[in-house]
Amino acid sequence: MKTISIDHLPRVEGNGGVFATIDGHVITEVKLVINEGPRLIERLTVGKTPEEDVSIAPRICAICSVSHKNAALRAMENALGVKVQPKITLLRELAHMGEFIESHSLHVYYLALPDYVGFPNAIAMASKFPFEVKIALEMKQFGNAIMKNLNGRMIHGENMVIGGFGSFPTREDLVWIKNRAIQFMPFVFRTVELFCGLDYPTVPESDTLYACCEPGNGQYGFWGEEIILSTGEKVARDDYKSLTNEFLVSHSYCKRSHYKGNPYSVGALARVNVLGERLQGESAKMYKKYFSPRWKKNPLFHNAAQALEILYCFEKVPELVDEILAIPENPPVVPYTTKTGKGTGLVEAPRGLLIHHYEVKDGLVSDVDIITPTAQNAEDIERYCYLAAQKLLDEGKEDAIRDRMDLVVRAFDPCISCSVHMAEVKRAPSDDWKKKLAELQPAGPAFIGIGKEGRSDDRAGLDLAAGMKEAGMENVYLETEIEEDHSLEGLAGRPLIFLDIVNMGEPAGKIAMLPLQHVFWNAVLSHRLLPAVSNRLTYDQIKNAYILGIQPESIEEGGRLSNSVRAAVEKILEEITN
Amino acid sequence: MPKDKLKIGIYELTGCAGDALLIVDCEEELVNIFTAASIEAFLMAKSDNRHGELDVALVEGSVSTEKEKEELLDIRKRARVVVAIGGCACVGGPQAAFLDKKEWEKNLKKVYGNIEFSHSRPLQSKPIDAYIKVDCYLPGCPIGKAQFLSTFARMVNGNPPELFRFPVCVECKWHENDCLLNKDILCLGPLTLAGCGSVCPNFNVPCFGCWGPTEEANRTSEYYLLREKGFDTEVIKNRMANYSGTRITEFFEQFRKEKR
Repeated sequence: MKTISIDHLPRVEGNGGVFATIDGHVITEVKLVINEGPRLIERLTVGKTPEEDVSIAPRICAICSVSHKNAALRAMENALGVKVQPKITLLRELAHMGEFIESHSLHVYYLALPDYVGFPNAIAMASKFPFEVKIALEMKQFGNAIMKNLNGRMIHGENMVIGGFGSFPTREDLVWIKNRAIQFMPFVFRTVELFCGLDYPTVPESDTLYACCEPGNGQYGFWGEEIILSTGEKVARDDYKSLTNEFLVSHSYCKRSHYKGNPYSVGALARVNVLGERLQGESAKMYKKYFSPRWKKNPLFHNAAQALEILYCFEKVPELVDEILAIPENPPVVPYTTKTGKGTGLVEAPRGLLIHHYEVKDGLVSDVDIITPTAQNAEDIERYCYLAAQKLLDEGKEDAIRDRMDLVVRAFDPCISCSVHMAEVKRAPSDDWKKKLAELQPAGPAFIGIGKEGRSDDRAGLDLAAGMKEAGMENVYLETEIEEDHSLEGLAGRPLIFLDIVNMGEPAGKIAMLPLQHVFWNAVLSHRLLPAVSNRLTYDQIKNAYILGIQPESIEEGGRLSNSVRAAVEKILEEITN
Repeated sequence: MPKDKLKIGIYELTGCAGDALLIVDCEEELVNIFTAASIEAFLMAKSDNRHGELDVALVEGSVSTEKEKEELLDIRKRARVVVAIGGCACVGGPQAAFLDKKEWEKNLKKVYGNIEFSHSRPLQSKPIDAYIKVDCYLPGCPIGKAQFLSTFARMVNGNPPELFRFPVCVECKWHENDCLLNKDILCLGPLTLAGCGSVCPNFNVPCFGCWGPTEEANRTSEYYLLREKGFDTEVIKNRMANYSGTRITEFFEQFRKEKR
């Protein structure tokens, strides 16, 4: 068995894929595409009662239904000024643990492990690891049993309501949960040792920003009133938008997030990276034993972090049960009289930070905003896939790209079946640059010619720019003009297309349109200017900048423009000026 | 037991994947499911999926993009029997609650703005029988384990499925629960298909109607009962519509005429 997963509002999950495009020796594009259709749940709950909202909103996702329920309840109770008793919070946390145990054990054993031990799926893996496959299934079942017991059903239970619980688990049920959790402990240790000890490949490794809930009181945990970042910055609950800054991309119904212009990651690895020092007991010992700086930059360690969290949950479950049993009275559902208000609820779903925000007016929901973990991870998933693909391509291991991207996507435990056969590698057709150019034209791109005269083909970029100017085109610059007045800010909002020669390892005269951020790291450039220019670009500009490159024949001093490059220059001019 | 194993495909369109997850959650029976039939395609559970002829296709989720519509038409061509699994496939699910196309377009714009999607054109969510003939409906949000396993077992043995046609109230009486309507709580038990085992009323929580409507429900009577109990007209209608998808359209139209 392989996949599963979840999230997002206007939908994610079901089928999707990662598509990488190779042009010569560079990856020109990596896209995480989600094919699932839009469900508009944020709009569906508008005009409904708060009770209906907390029933419908969790339907976003089956595997995170308890996380969605808890996020919805916390947000709605904040909006309506409902304060629940400690026993209610403890019971909700216990249900949350059930979801983490179910989701994490399913992911690490059934989805991730087969890749690392060389089997196509968990059922095939059972031949070599019968014990692991069997007990992991029991562990997953146990997580489901906790949820069924507390919330009524494994998926989309309705027992947790605004202000409390419809009915309470019996003492026998709770004691059973506690004892069963303790029985699993030896296997849980084995799980941590197995996944923390796996030999995770070093590709891709790159720093990123991590975000999760701040549980408060120096504790590890799965919800809170603030968001904490790996930089130490904190974002208040109601200011969540300053973290997420949602935006759309045309190739997915899943919205994206950026913090201060940079992608960030959420999930088990984010939590362990940010809060790991706060772990206690056996989890703390295991954290000290296995944690290394590589966890901070390698998304494949999500699997290790999830295993560590399984241990955290199994330590926490008996504690929670004891605390619950110490409070014999079952508090009745807290009624509310408030008809108007707004509130935000922050929780950690198994795959990361989940935010529900509601506004209620005259007793009916008037505005809804839901931000799911996969939506926040989408940008980093694409980035790490790109890094892995380019690195492997550089090493001449093109055949390994597909599987490695699969591994990266799956490590993020995103919504989906897509993790099963996500990755696809395709070769760009030879005139792909024309298509790209046509796509960029409506946005009014600015062209910047780069190069040096008297150095053979190195003058191609300058010739191109000069040709465009001659043809009466606007927004065409030479590198010297840009260098003089430092006026790149004036070009904000326009795609930037640098005209230059690029060593792509292709036959001379080959033309390609390459995203600037990709070329930076790879193709060998013949100029000092580009890095200087790039340092003056904002991240948004870099994402929207390209090099229209020509493979040179020679850049020898004193040489002349070669015939193949001259032909390419003419071809580009013809395309652009028409 | 037929000599050749039934070829079964399990497909997911737009939804929460809860029905496919429930099948995965049949932990103890999963191996039997995979050995009793030949599972040709099941994206959530396996990677070596085939796309040939099928005896039975189980389809989850609503049709919400052009691409999904094409995929569904293709599944219909390949499958002898098509079973809709879960509320989204059977009635359209919560996402089909925008009954009016204009209202749906307005809300699509509210969520996504004016962006042109490059991968697949969005469609107003509809149940799968809006596009193809469906042979059997397995309701639920998500589907129930007992009902799924009995249906699966009957199909594998060449028998037609037998589903509950009565409302949740019947199961609720089996569980000897106190009637929540008698306590003036807005419960949709009388209108909703049974099969869940009246799980919510068992937990002292009213039925939200998530299994979709029963055919024989007397909605008009429930409507006036709830009005008498002092519930707001809009609240009652919303509650009825939340999980009924496109199945409720006719009732509302008829209701409007009667009121005139």
